[in-house]
Amino acid sequence: MDLDVAESEILGLIGPNGAGKTTFFNVINGFLPPASGKVLFEGRDITGLKAHKIARLGVSRTFQATTLFMKISVLDNIFTGYHMSYKTSVWERLLRTPSALKEEERLKQEAMEIQKFMGLGPLKDEVAENLSHGHQRILGVCLALATHPKLLLLDEPLTGMNPVEIQTMVGLIKQIRSRGISIILVEHDIKAVMSLCDRIVVLNYGRKIAEGLPEEIRKNKKVVEAYLGKEES
Amino acid sequence: MAKLKRWDFKQINRLHSKLLGLFISFVAIAALPLLVDSPYYVHLLIMVGMNSILAMTFILTLRTGFVSLANAAFWGVGAYALTLLVTRWDLSVWLALPASAVITGIVAFLVGIILVRNAGFAFLMLTALLGMVTVLVFGTFDVFGGYVGIVNIPAPEPIKLPFLPPIEFISKTPYYYLMVLLFIIVVAVLSTFYAAWSGRAWRAIDLSPHLAESLGINLFRYRLLAFVLASAVAGLMGGFYACYFGAVVPSTFDIFKTFYIHIYAILGGIGFAFLGPVIGSFIFTLVPEVLRITKEVEPIFTGLLLILLVMFLPDGLLSLLSLSRRPSHPGENMERIVRWIKASPRPRG
Repeated sequence: MDLDVAESEILGLIGPNGAGKTTFFNVINGFLPPASGKVLFEGRDITGLKAHKIARLGVSRTFQATTLFMKISVLDNIFTGYHMSYKTSVWERLLRTPSALKEEERLKQEAMEIQKFMGLGPLKDEVAENLSHGHQRILGVCLALATHPKLLLLDEPLTGMNPVEIQTMVGLIKQIRSRGISIILVEHDIKAVMSLCDRIVVLNYGRKIAEGLPEEIRKNKKVVEAYLGKEES
Repeated sequence: MAKLKRWDFKQINRLHSKLLGLFISFVAIAALPLLVDSPYYVHLLIMVGMNSILAMTFILTLRTGFVSLANAAFWGVGAYALTLLVTRWDLSVWLALPASAVITGIVAFLVGIILVRNAGFAFLMLTALLGMVTVLVFGTFDVFGGYVGIVNIPAPEPIKLPFLPPIEFISKTPYYYLMVLLFIIVVAVLSTFYAAWSGRAWRAIDLSPHLAESLGINLFRYRLLAFVLASAVAGLMGGFYACYFGAVVPSTFDIFKTFYIHIYAILGGIGFAFLGPVIGSFIFTLVPEVLRITKEVEPIFTGLLLILLVMFLPDGLLSLLSLSRRPSHPGENMERIVRWIKASPRPRG
């Protein structure tokens, strides 16, 4: 398994269930150590670093199962994402100096902006667990964005969404890319993958079996086999 | 909160009524010892204060997903710290009190570095072990006075205020006011941590450690912070206990005390970082007195209470009050208070 992502590129990662896509994300993210090999981010070896350190370097992700802070409001969720963005010192924050309070205000404003950007404006005080599934998935992406990532790993963001929600999410992903963020997109919705991704990598049984432009992948025999199974001749 | 307008009477009335409420409760708390005639009841109030703070420390570590069984152990570390500082090294009690908090914090830090790395269940077992080892250490080594303990710990030195007679710590009443002072300090410090970015990090770790980690929150650091802070506060209570009681005995700080601390917290409701512990310890300390439950019968009372709690009120007593909903984050009530204190009328022009 060997792949690279360029800046501002959307790389699609597809493959049958169990191919290892989420595991791949877990390795990049720092949740799992790789069996072998290295992960390099912006020229730096990040293999084996702890997940929070990797997040600090600018890698952010969403999860296959909707993972949010369920018991708190939408705004509070996003605000938690700004944890790394504090510039004031610990003491200033504890003593609640004017500069610390100003920074909190500024971060709250940024959280509100991300909310509006992702279309969740009116829901800002709603508790996360009360949101519709589609909105929850969008909130998950908001959270990942709040960390100002350079690389965003999206794990099946479109799961369980109706066509309207899918359109919204696709539009949002395009807007995220236009902000200069690189994206690795794991998705089963082939139409979305084809329309969004600049390049596609196909995984099966933990190995890369194809890589290339969407059109090439569509025609690739190995890919078709992987999804449909070998035909008995 | 919008700036208070000089002519906005509705806002002013609200602010004034809130300030009045604060003032009244302040006066009530201050006047309690005078209304209560028996020093025994003053003692009970002091114990309620101390137990509620100990319960708060339990909730603090609990908020990061770790159940600690070492609460009483750190209470003991603080008690013995003050005892040794005052009896062996002749340090003033007033200096020894904050020192007991700091020393306990340092011990917690050193122990925590090893303990906090583990998963929740291992942590539970290790803190249980820590609790038992601590009592053992206090009982075995002569420097701690052995199983007999150390007695004749001096009271705090009298406070000399200008134009007033010195405040001597002979009766229980000055200790009561000292406890109130410590209570206010502890709640203020804990609230600050809860309301700030640290509290948000704790909440994130509590709700979803995986997600928190992927947002850049260092789980170990914040868990250690909660552990050290909780232990330091427990140590401060230990220091108070030592100079109040005048004697320390290892068996006081055993694991059963830890269980009681857990009960105070659970009885009140673990969703409430401050109010829960106070209510829980209030009821648990005073109800047996009111019902004149003797020491022999007390375990039955405790057991019955626990069973009823688990069966009918797992969220504690405060969950009964639909008024006191769980704040959306631990420091919220304090934030509200601080916010409207700040929104005082400002001079124009």
